[in-house]
Amino acid sequence: MNVIEIKNLTKMYGASRGISDISFTVEEGEIFGFIGPNGAGKSTTIRTLLSLIYPTSGSATIFGKDIVQFAPEIKKEIGYLPSEVFYYDNMKVKDLLNYSASFYKKDCRKRIKELANIMDLDLNKKIDDLSLGNKKKVGIVQGLLHEPKLIILDEPTSGLDPLMQQKFFELLEEENRKGATILFSSHILTEVQRLCNRVAIIKEGRIVAVEKISTLKENTYKKFKVETKSALDPHYFNLAGVNKLEVKDTHTSFLFKGNINEVMRKIADVEITNLWIEEPDLEEIFMHYYEKEA
Amino acid sequence: MNIFLKELKSHRKSLIFWSIGIFLMVTSGMVKYESLSSSGQPMNEMLAGMPKSLLAVLGIGEFDISTASGYYGLLYIYLLLMATIHSAMLGATIIAKEERDKTTEFLFVKPVSRNGAILAKLAAAFVNILILNIVTFVSSLVLVGKYSNGEVVTGDIAITMAGMFILQLLFMVIGSSLAAVKRKSKTAASFAAVILLLTYLISVVIDLNEGIEGLKYLTPFKYFEAKNIMFGGGLEFIYVLLSGGWIAVLTAVTFIFYKKRDLNV
Repeated sequence: MNVIEIKNLTKMYGASRGISDISFTVEEGEIFGFIGPNGAGKSTTIRTLLSLIYPTSGSATIFGKDIVQFAPEIKKEIGYLPSEVFYYDNMKVKDLLNYSASFYKKDCRKRIKELANIMDLDLNKKIDDLSLGNKKKVGIVQGLLHEPKLIILDEPTSGLDPLMQQKFFELLEEENRKGATILFSSHILTEVQRLCNRVAIIKEGRIVAVEKISTLKENTYKKFKVETKSALDPHYFNLAGVNKLEVKDTHTSFLFKGNINEVMRKIADVEITNLWIEEPDLEEIFMHYYEKEA
Repeated sequence: MNIFLKELKSHRKSLIFWSIGIFLMVTSGMVKYESLSSSGQPMNEMLAGMPKSLLAVLGIGEFDISTASGYYGLLYIYLLLMATIHSAMLGATIIAKEERDKTTEFLFVKPVSRNGAILAKLAAAFVNILILNIVTFVSSLVLVGKYSNGEVVTGDIAITMAGMFILQLLFMVIGSSLAAVKRKSKTAASFAAVILLLTYLISVVIDLNEGIEGLKYLTPFKYFEAKNIMFGGGLEFIYVLLSGGWIAVLTAVTFIFYKKRDLNV
């Protein structure tokens, strides 16, 4: 079953671009990464899904229900953590969490205590007095206290120290094991790589790829570095599937996608002194999507 | 219900300040009356010597200010101004503050509809202006009664408070509809204040210039003037109808536009 289904979703801000023609689906039980640099349209997509803003054209469903028409109903089962958390001043953490819980028709007191314990959050402090990281923790507890079926996170780790990040990720994995679907937006690849099963890559308001993380890593590019005895003809490795060919004296490096045997035969035909074949890390794959169309 | 209670709580302090302010206004007004009436100077004669335009600007008009009720009629416009400023600001900020404080991403990802949130907020604002109205009513009743020398003032004060309540409601929805319509809702409160001052100015200009009497339908401050509704005048049906119509339209505008527009996040 698809928890989120986005079809040709477009959001324009007047004449300027928000997102255009975005389509992808998130399946039940997935941790789905949504990745792109700042300003690519991640937050716009998420805010449209939450009907804080409305689509210019296209549509989307969550739990099979239209996001605009059934917004309040859908939100019973959504937990959301925005990239920047702002709360009502003059409230204690406890009061804010209770206020938040009062919107859901279930008793969340036990879960609030559990989450506050895990995240090491003092419930009796005033929100005004909290540091950025601690405010973020309030956001995390606030987003998870009603045990939502869909968790939407927009750049959730900013302001959290590495230790808390670790705890937070463990918490998410635990929620996922219990059945929650997670949409995780980020511009930091390592955290996406660590958590997600699949990713959608967004660039300038458009989706450029939706792939499994494993496919991204396996099926794509291998990094070749060849050291030869004598300098090579710079065009020697110029075959289909080769990218970013660089030749410096006896050192040749390139990215390759395709039938690996062809390259190996080419390599076998020259006298080599050393050879490296590496899996590119996600960062490089990601940069590739960005440079391809630049 | 939770939003309603939250709003009542977060506006409690400001309501207390406004209540104190309006109480002090009535008190200082009536204390002034006492000193004027006990000084033995015939006040009406003194006023008769003043130019009519000055009287109009001061809002004195045609009151017999040697009586407590007449003096109260004079004071009423200032109470009305305070109460309507309070309502206009309240109506605007209660809607706009979620965007101002960037709490939209908190509130509207909860299972609550835009209409539901607006309903709760307007209900909370309604309770606030009702309380301020009651505070004004009771302070007036007690303080005017104290200096009235047996003159019966309850009915006159009650009718002015009824008029004031209608205008409070009207300015509340002027504020809320501005906040709902404007994309930059932060500016709604100051915009509402500008409308309020402009309509008040128009009402003063009409007093100065009888030739433009016809403009009186444009400014709510002409709808329920103390000199017309007190002393047995009562609320005029046409103005009650007109205010009611505006209140209905602007309430609808508040709901419809807030539901339709993108929220600022």
